[in-house]
Amino acid sequence: MDSTVRAEIVLVDDEDMVITSVRAFLEMETEHNVHGFTNPNDAIAHLETHPVDVVVSDYLMPQMNGIQLLARSKALQPEAARVLLTGHADKQSAIVAINQVGLYQYLEKPWDNNQLLLVVQSAIERTQLFRSLQTKIAELEAAHGNMADIRAKLIKAFL
Amino acid sequence: MSSDCPSTASGPRVRTAEELRAEVANLEGRLAEADKMALLGRLIASVVHEINTPIGSVFSNNQVAAKGLETLSRMLEEPAPPPKAQQIVKTLRSLSDVDRMACERISALIRSVRNFSRGDGERPAKAALQDVLANSIKLAETSFRNRIAIEAQLGPAECECYPSAMGQVFLNILVNAGQAIENDGRIQVKLAVEDGWAHAAITDNGQGIRPENCGCIFKEGFTTKPMGEGTGLGLSIARRIVEEKHQGRIWFESTVGVGTTFHVSVPVAGPVVKGEA
Ligand SMILES: Nc1ncnc2c1ncn2[C@@H]1O[C@H](COP(=O)(O)OP(=O)(O)OP(=O)(O)O)[C@@H](O)[C@H]1O
Ligand SMILES: [Mg+2]
Repeated sequence: MDSTVRAEIVLVDDEDMVITSVRAFLEMETEHNVHGFTNPNDAIAHLETHPVDVVVSDYLMPQMNGIQLLARSKALQPEAARVLLTGHADKQSAIVAINQVGLYQYLEKPWDNNQLLLVVQSAIERTQLFRSLQTKIAELEAAHGNMADIRAKLIKAFL
Repeated sequence: MSSDCPSTASGPRVRTAEELRAEVANLEGRLAEADKMALLGRLIASVVHEINTPIGSVFSNNQVAAKGLETLSRMLEEPAPPPKAQQIVKTLRSLSDVDRMACERISALIRSVRNFSRGDGERPAKAALQDVLANSIKLAETSFRNRIAIEAQLGPAECECYPSAMGQVFLNILVNAGQAIENDGRIQVKLAVEDGWAHAAITDNGQGIRPENCGCIFKEGFTTKPMGEGTGLGLSIARRIVEEKHQGRIWFESTVGVGTTFHVSVPVAGPVVKGEA
């Protein structure tokens, strides 16, 4: 994918250290805007007002866990891809929750940067593709009347 | 212990009370050692998890630094460095801060494990009990992760004691407290010296101890925990360490559904050694 496409990434981890490192990495490798939050509630506030392409969240955090955060994200912006970052010990709970929040991918800590980049890029691509298809359908709809059926199929296939 | 072992050739010799006492003491010592190793063994998984985060950061930062330096050196060849160069320098600075913090965290954890596994000498030694307790808190915290908030008020408490054994007492109580809290909770730890006694109080807001169990919890082998989680040794060993090794006291108050406080009190001057009283 074209890495010059600017995307909006939300990154949530209660460890400042992780945010700084991941943000530095993504900013070095891409042109994306990375919004880091150590408090999931601040991330939700951001999601309420800003369109986002991908949300990457830690699993274990004091205020709420990553699954709960991603569930909120799904409710607010269903098309924004959801990625969970988990410690090895939480893997089981992560797997159980995959269906619950329509997880795009999960990554294990300590994370591998190349894998992270791959996942984030393809997640962004997917979200942006979905959004542009939706706009196309809206345009077609304006021109040709009822396209609700196609739209519904698209949503079902993607989310 | 006497060095002449009962030889099988001459048949078992009747052992003196002194020898039996020494043998029991030896076995108790080994049991305490086994409990300590079991505690550590259980904590290792969470310590490793705790170390994984800073290590992940350092690895990532290292990769970013390499790439950043490469980009910078290319930029230096240009007649005028682009504004992005400043940005990269800033990023690299912040990463080196993170690396330092990460390394500090890793070494602090390793230090705690080492402090905990260190053995005691034959005789009590002067030790700062607040550091011993803080060390046990640090270790216990790794297994609570973000589930439990620990509030510690540790006053200075220089004691003649067996520091490693006291660390084991505290860790046992803290692990129990964490296990008693089902989801989120809080543990308060206080330490202060009063009238020549160092007094530690560890309070959890967990499930509490049922009245019918209150008489049993210090008994060897008594546990209400599922197989694999508890062997019922922790408190019996803690009691032996506190009462016999330190001539101190250990007791608790508990209300079902509200929580439990464990108290440990040891004389600051240390145990009175036989023959020196
Ligand atoms: N803070 C506490 N809150 C509620 N119950 C407790 C608490 N501390 C101890 N207990 C009870 O006392 C019992 C005995 O504790 P002890 O530490 O001796 O053994 P254990 O924790 O069951 O096993 P082990 O320590 O060997 O892993 C526990 O099983 C539990 O029922
Ligand atoms: Mg125990």
